[in-house]
Amino acid sequence: MPAISVRDLRKTFQMKRKSAGLRGSLRALWRPTYQSIEAVRGLSFEMEDGELLGFIGPNGAGKSTTIKILTGILHPSSGEAAVLGHVPWQDRQALAFQIGSVFGQRPQLWYHLPAVDTFYLFGKIYEIDDSSLKRRISFLAEAFEIEELLETPVRKLSLGQRMRCEVAASLLHRPRVLLLDEPSIGLDVVAKQRLRMTIQRMNDMEGVGVLLTSHDAGDIETLCRRVIIVNHGEIVYRDKVSALKRRYLTVKTVDVRYNEQLAPDFSLPGVEMVKVGRYGAKMRFDTRVTPVEPVISGLAAAGSLADVTVSEPSLEEVISAIYARTEV
Amino acid sequence: MRSKEAGALTGEGRVREHSSAAVAGKYWAVFRTQLLNSLAYPIDLLGRSLLIVLFMWIFMNLWRVTYGAVGASSIAGLTLADTMWYLMMAEAVMLSKHDLSETFSEQVKDGSVAYLLNKPFNFILYHFASGLGDSLLAFGGNLLIGSAVVWLMVGPPPGIAGWIFAGAAVVLSWLLDFCFSALIGLSAFVVEETNAFRWIYQKFLLLLGGVLIPLDFFPAWLQTISLNLPFAWIIYGPARLFVEPSLARLGHVFLQQCIWLAVVGGIVWVIYRRVVARLVINGG
Repeated sequence: MPAISVRDLRKTFQMKRKSAGLRGSLRALWRPTYQSIEAVRGLSFEMEDGELLGFIGPNGAGKSTTIKILTGILHPSSGEAAVLGHVPWQDRQALAFQIGSVFGQRPQLWYHLPAVDTFYLFGKIYEIDDSSLKRRISFLAEAFEIEELLETPVRKLSLGQRMRCEVAASLLHRPRVLLLDEPSIGLDVVAKQRLRMTIQRMNDMEGVGVLLTSHDAGDIETLCRRVIIVNHGEIVYRDKVSALKRRYLTVKTVDVRYNEQLAPDFSLPGVEMVKVGRYGAKMRFDTRVTPVEPVISGLAAAGSLADVTVSEPSLEEVISAIYARTEV
Repeated sequence: MRSKEAGALTGEGRVREHSSAAVAGKYWAVFRTQLLNSLAYPIDLLGRSLLIVLFMWIFMNLWRVTYGAVGASSIAGLTLADTMWYLMMAEAVMLSKHDLSETFSEQVKDGSVAYLLNKPFNFILYHFASGLGDSLLAFGGNLLIGSAVVWLMVGPPPGIAGWIFAGAAVVLSWLLDFCFSALIGLSAFVVEETNAFRWIYQKFLLLLGGVLIPLDFFPAWLQTISLNLPFAWIIYGPARLFVEPSLARLGHVFLQQCIWLAVVGGIVWVIYRRVVARLVINGG
């Protein structure tokens, strides 16, 4: 049985509309008009037990709405969903014992208290007995490298430190599924890497399944084997991350440097020259149009090579390309 | 006894039995954590309590002149000392009320309500436990400072029975106030901005609840109206019990508080069920 199963899920919000100015305000009072916003439009997907699934999309794509439906705090307009066998909006309380959630922009730790106070509070809320709770806190403190931070008031922690404490807090009750909504938002590169490492570690050690939404393609690239990309409330892509890269990473960028000056009319067939200098050049080609082999031999034949770097587009660029295609 | 949350599955797939003690332990932990949170800023806590000094000084000047103008030692059975101790208790309750409606409204607007709705506890009881933790400390501070000031102004407080009876009634006052606050707060799920409702409720408490004037001083018709509304039993009930404690009065205050708790609490419960079903969270 999949940990999460979603079928034809839809959520429509009714937004009040008002024209500009006093007249518009008065009219809205007298005869309010509403606009239907379809935040989620017929999503269907499954997540296996213990899987790390990436769920990405731009602002307003419906990611957070979907996560909130899956935690049971939003009711869908139609469709079906099951999380660990529960219909979330019908069994919210029972499901709460089995899932953890972190909403990156909404802190759950008590701001003025040390994180350990919130940990003890959560221990009671999830009905964990005292000795198990103590063991669990020390285990998570070690796994998340937060031993030194637990007794510092949360307001004095850096964002990265706080976020590690937030994720640790959401794992206190050993959930089988963790819903992470933008956990890396606002973090610097080092903090992001540490957070990713700890999420990966908990997945390896406890087999907790993670549904991860993020703006940062790096999160998905590092952590997830499979990815679902949503836009305007619909799935626009779903496959393995590796397949996504294979399929879309066909454009290579080559930076080349020579030990001697290049011919001023330096060019290669099927290759777009981005920039040509006296000792080097930057170029781009699509492997579906121009095979790699003649490009490399062409580069070698042009002179004595000092350095060659071949780079692929980032996952971010790939995703932008997918969005651009679906915008039409 | 199994609680409503019974039926949750453990990680291993077994049905988890929730003992009543474990469920009560949750709300006790919330209450305790809120106490700790309020103690994080002791100066702020003390500062909030100092407000009562100003109020008592104003009331003292106002009522000294009034009693002098009337030329009687008591008005409607209350001496100046009784009136001042009444107002001290009324202000102590009023200033220690936790404004839950504002918390609700903020949580709905910034979306943090999501965290509270996906935890295994009752959203309403969570807020009550948390509000109680906040109110208790503030009430203690108000009582301590307010009593010291009023003692200096008009002499010693009423007997020990007044403290005990009023103390018991104040817990039900907070509960009743909590229900009104919850009602206003729940409207935030629909209208988001609740300032207007909060303002109206505060004014009802000030005028018809007996915060500014003991209801005994009202003309008979207004007194009848006030005593038949719930606001009097949040402020006037415990404060009047404080200065004139008797078992009969205690019984009457409790009865009124329980009746209104059943009515307003019932409405809160029904509305809560409906509101959660049509919940829209910001940032969805």
